[in-house]
Amino acid sequence: MAHAMKFLEKIRRYIKISGVAPISRRYFIMNAFDGATTILGIVVGAYVAEIPDESWVILSGLGATLAMGLSGFAGAYMTEEAELARKLNILEKSMLTDLKNSVVNKASRFASLWVGIVDGISPALTGVTCLTPFFLSSRGLFSISFAIQLSVAIALLMMFLLGIFLGKISRKNMLYHGTKMLFVGLIITLVFLTFKIV
Amino acid sequence: MIKRLVLDVLKPHKPTVVDLSEALSHLEGVEGVNVITYEIDQQVENVKIIIAGSSVHFESIKKKLEELGATIHSVDEVAAGKRIVEEVKTPQDRSARM
Repeated sequence: MAHAMKFLEKIRRYIKISGVAPISRRYFIMNAFDGATTILGIVVGAYVAEIPDESWVILSGLGATLAMGLSGFAGAYMTEEAELARKLNILEKSMLTDLKNSVVNKASRFASLWVGIVDGISPALTGVTCLTPFFLSSRGLFSISFAIQLSVAIALLMMFLLGIFLGKISRKNMLYHGTKMLFVGLIITLVFLTFKIV
Repeated sequence: MIKRLVLDVLKPHKPTVVDLSEALSHLEGVEGVNVITYEIDQQVENVKIIIAGSSVHFESIKKKLEELGATIHSVDEVAAGKRIVEEVKTPQDRSARM
């Protein structure tokens, strides 16, 4: 327990020193939104294409989630690593010293990994949550059409909640931000549904 | 046995002076720390650190500062021994003559 507390304290210190909290927050919202949007697209697309069983949605959804997670992790990790190395280099020049063994370097290395993890996990988190109705439907808990409706509702709710979170961060109207995000989700859904009508 | 140490230190903005003073105050033999920022640059800042204690270990202070990304520019005052001897003005001091 004491080790875990010490470890958490260390992480908190590294996040504070590297100043990575706003970056990871941005990445989290951006990619969680990406995850929900992608699965929403797949689910509505499956509805338009009248897919008979849920395995198609589950497999393509999981495939997309995995790809988003991996690309998010690798992309964010490498980008932040380069960006933070540049910042450290500038700092070393100002300090006229090598900061390799300092907490600044350790925090910087941790920060790039942290951002990568946040960026990788966030789309997977929303993606898998949106797919949950299909897992339950494949177990025979309810029909595929209900799973589609539930999944779309979950995706839209996630987008709304992400908007609420944005509103909370900016200390502006949370409901307004939530509705803005929800609107994007509704556009995707409506665009696909017009395909069905046409 | 060092009782008081005054250092001129160059440090990055983060860890902050609060983190730095806390970290130094937790070192063995240190009883009190005072950190004063006297110059701030775009990337770095200069601080004057006064450390007092029953037995201040210079090497551990230096190591801790390096660990925090700071470097000692100069050691401006050291008071060692059983009691702290304060600086005295003599006629030879420029300020005393003026």
